Amino acid sequence: MDPTQLLTTPLSTGLVYELLLDVIDPELGVNIVDLGLVYEVQIDGRDVEVVMTLTTQGCPLGGFIEDEIVDCLAQSPQIGRVKVTLVWEPPWDPERMTDAARDELGWIS
Amino acid sequence: MGSRAHDGRGARRAWMDLLTRAPLLRRAPLVALGITALFAGLWGGLLRLGLSVPGAQTDLAELHGPLMTLGFLGTLIGLERAVALGRPWGFAAPLASGVGTLAAAAGAPGGFGPALLTFAAAVLVAEHLVIDRMQRTAHNIVMGLGAVAWLAAALLWLTGADTSRFVPLLAGFLVLTIVGERLELSRLRGLGGGRRTALLAAIALLVGGLALSIPAEDAGMRLAGVGLLTQAAWLTRYDIARRTVHGRGVTRFMALALLAGYAWLGVAGVLWLLHGTSADGYLYDAQLHALFLGFVMSMVFAHAPVIVPAVLRVRLPFRPRFYVHLALLHASLVVRILGGDLADNVHLWQWGGVAGEVAILLFLAATGAAVVAARRRSEQPDRGARTAGLV
Repeated sequence: MDPTQLLTTPLSTGLVYELLLDVIDPELGVNIVDLGLVYEVQIDGRDVEVVMTLTTQGCPLGGFIEDEIVDCLAQSPQIGRVKVTLVWEPPWDPERMTDAARDELGWIS
Repeated sequence: MGSRAHDGRGARRAWMDLLTRAPLLRRAPLVALGITALFAGLWGGLLRLGLSVPGAQTDLAELHGPLMTLGFLGTLIGLERAVALGRPWGFAAPLASGVGTLAAAAGAPGGFGPALLTFAAAVLVAEHLVIDRMQRTAHNIVMGLGAVAWLAAALLWLTGADTSRFVPLLAGFLVLTIVGERLELSRLRGLGGGRRTALLAAIALLVGGLALSIPAEDAGMRLAGVGLLTQAAWLTRYDIARRTVHGRGVTRFMALALLAGYAWLGVAGVLWLLHGTSADGYLYDAQLHALFLGFVMSMVFAHAPVIVPAVLRVRLPFRPRFYVHLALLHASLVVRILGGDLADNVHLWQWGGVAGEVAILLFLAATGAAVVAARRRSEQPDRGARTAGLV
């Protein structure tokens, strides 16, 4: 997002989702929104909670993604505290991926 | 520091606070254990290459395999799993494997080292059982079977078996751990039905071969070789790296390291299938190092930019110089295996072996330097907020 726009756009779930497009799974080269990992964004005043999952419960990347989300959202002066909540219900499913992510990863079937 | 730090209880509380909050401080000692085992294993490797370095009177040459696979990789994999599960008891696995292999290397009496490694494997198996109860998946079962292979290897060691006797199981531990993860990622390409079944069949061949290797090592290794070869073929054809290699930055780096690793997995499969438990020292060297260095270490190099930040909660920005240690690793194996082992050339075997160790040391240095540089940058107040994005 353009830096000037970033300063002037009011805080909304749409803005948060747009910022989260910059949080990319390094191995896949695809952002966590298109991968369908973000379940919900909640806003309380200036504070933001991101409710998300990982592709599997044995995945050790939770802390890493959390750090990346906090860093990413810190770009926006409208955002105060950031909380990332990992949930496992419902379990992630490939159906949650967007068409863009599928194209990127070469969906076969 | 607050005023609490001025009295004893306050200082203790502050320390406890720090330890609970800072994953780096809690987990770095376990990583240090693993890296110490790596250094001991690398030294044992130099002895095995027949180089005149000090230590010929120690068991380091004999323990080279367990130090590298269980002491270094086992400790790191145990740590990674404990972080993923988030249960404090899970950290007993990396602690026991690190201490166990180093105790064995230091000449601890009796079966102290192997007993700790058996315990570590049991903890890892228990972690996979817990994950299975939360969410049953094929990939977790495959990775759990890898932990079972480690358990079987440690039990054989505990009963006094030579390292060569349980080497296939050590390989099985690492291959199943890695391939389980690739199986999980195959879901992101929509690979279902026959294609997924084909990979599961290849995995079953490997598992069958590993089980057979306990009573009949030669036949077991040959069957496991078929499993390795078919897995390599499947991964080369269908793994997500085939797509992500067209990406950029760290994504491309990881994909290239993965694809190069699959080539060596195929080489290992052919060598295991054709030669079984080879009495030829050179062939044996090629069978093991195509797999442990070519496949496994390439996977380690590939995933370090993700796993190091995940486990230690530090930043590890990708640097193009990472290609240096990756290229050196694979070049060293061409020299060692093709020029040395398969051509009976002792000098090329030694040069390739030493170059492989240099690649690992360069990897450690490049990774450490990137982490330190990133910390320094983030501590500079005038740089403002850190930029987002991982690539």
